[in-house]
Amino acid sequence: MVNLRPSLAVKLGRLELDYPTLMGSGCYGSGEEYAPFADLSKIGAIVLKSVTRLPRLGNSTPRLVHTPAGMLNAIGLQNPGIEWYLANELHKYAGRPCKLVGSVAGFSVDDYAYLCERLAARDEIAAVELNVSCPNVASEGETFACDPHLTARVVRAARATTDKTLIVKLSPNVTDITAVAREAEAAGADALAVINTVRGMAIDVETWRPRLGNITGGLSGPAIRPIAVLAVYEVAQAVQIPIVGQGGIENLSDALEFFLAGAAAISIGTANFTDPRVPERIVSELQAYLAQRNLGSLEAIVGKANVELSTPDQYEGDEG
Amino acid sequence: MVDLHARVHATTVIGRRELAAGVVLMTLEAPQLANTTRPGQYLMAIPPSAQAAATALAIYEAEGKLASILFFLTGKRTRELAGLRAGDRLDVVGPLGNGFDCSGDARDVAIVAGGVGIASVLLLAQTLCRAGASTRLFYGARTRELLIDAQRFADAGCELVLTTDDGSYGQRGFVTDALARSRKPELIYACGPSPMLRSVARIAAESGVRAQLALEETFGCGVGGCWGCVVPLIAASAQAPNFPPAELGGSDVVYARICKEGPVFWADELRW
Repeated sequence: MVNLRPSLAVKLGRLELDYPTLMGSGCYGSGEEYAPFADLSKIGAIVLKSVTRLPRLGNSTPRLVHTPAGMLNAIGLQNPGIEWYLANELHKYAGRPCKLVGSVAGFSVDDYAYLCERLAARDEIAAVELNVSCPNVASEGETFACDPHLTARVVRAARATTDKTLIVKLSPNVTDITAVAREAEAAGADALAVINTVRGMAIDVETWRPRLGNITGGLSGPAIRPIAVLAVYEVAQAVQIPIVGQGGIENLSDALEFFLAGAAAISIGTANFTDPRVPERIVSELQAYLAQRNLGSLEAIVGKANVELSTPDQYEGDEG
Repeated sequence: MVDLHARVHATTVIGRRELAAGVVLMTLEAPQLANTTRPGQYLMAIPPSAQAAATALAIYEAEGKLASILFFLTGKRTRELAGLRAGDRLDVVGPLGNGFDCSGDARDVAIVAGGVGIASVLLLAQTLCRAGASTRLFYGARTRELLIDAQRFADAGCELVLTTDDGSYGQRGFVTDALARSRKPELIYACGPSPMLRSVARIAAESGVRAQLALEETFGCGVGGCWGCVVPLIAASAQAPNFPPAELGGSDVVYARICKEGPVFWADELRW
């Protein structure tokens, strides 16, 4: 008998999601922007745009450039600052048919602790993502995620202020992402988001000027998918806590790669810019995929990439 | 503010015509979209290959069951769209954005269009003419061949002032020079390249006329989710996003999303 409704529910720390799909921070607004085109009750959670201690105007323009198989962005954490956010913004997000995850970005260890403390009492959000890896702010933004010990200090400080599930978003722009992952886990992270964007740059050859106002940006989209799959695979070997895999996921096949590499859940960002129906489509196709294989739950495939087959013998006679 | 009419539409390509080299007019059967589109709104065309981000395109015509898009072939994404043929399916998200405000009582209006900007103003011209406003279209292109579909505007009831950069048709020079030379209108609407819009804004300011500008920028999501397409706007504008005022650590000028708060802004509220 084929199980027609395999469970897609996942647990990240204490955050329980009906579906294993999160919408990436800064890609989906607060959900309201997508509500006319997407059934928000069919996604797991929306990770809200990062909020900082003080208001930020964001970077000068252009902030986006389309590149082969992806997109460079340098938004620069535009947001009204935590005070205004709590007083005039967050309450509007109540009542969404999916969970909301707050996102905080800081410029010091204390910033993260302060922001998490301020969010701790707010019911609108079910968890907090620590954005320690924004590549697009002038100073410090990414240095947290580039230093395992600094990451640990941020996570410990945040952990002390809140019982909410803490997801730490890691940067791919490091030599050894597993070292950062281990420190984050040891410091009390409940889950890891792997990966943030990959640093990049584009230059207009007519004007000789950078194509982003910020000069450099973060690359997203399918161009970075193999980088992300590898990062998830490596981090999954290094830690016990669940991983939210992200980087260029556009369809079921992409999503499966991440689950097989070790992601307990996935996050979708840039693909929404191609087609807002992508998240719902992935969920329904994932359900069918598991049902066809008579698998009762998503858990059955997480981390099951069969690396044992990849012995040198298998490739004898193959090129490269 | 949720746009009650915006949704994903599965449309069918009814016709595809090349109006000039590299300029395509594509007609779509899209009744619901056609019925709900207001002047100056746009759609996001979902690429059939799903291999790239959706493309923001002005809705050129909207009547009965049909809506159309008029676009220049500028890259991979528009070339893919141009490859569609009658009978093919094209999914689009729309109508999106806050279009032109036609609610005022201006009786003598000028529309300024440059190049591909013409695609954003046909519905506007039709609406203004129907409402009985004396409507002049100042339309500029690089060459005679690229002055597209001007007759449609004449048919709608516009008085035409045409310019070409090379003088191959109409007045030689920039369309904004023609605007500056002409009788002062009560209100200006404009869509075109950024230098043209800045010129329009300057002319409007100098002559004490208000102007609505439809801006263009590289879009990410196109629906307000990513804050990638922004323009500096005075915080006092009714279109300004939620941001603290300067005295609370915020600012008197904030970045507004062209896709969401725009694409049409009052020229005197921009700080670009």
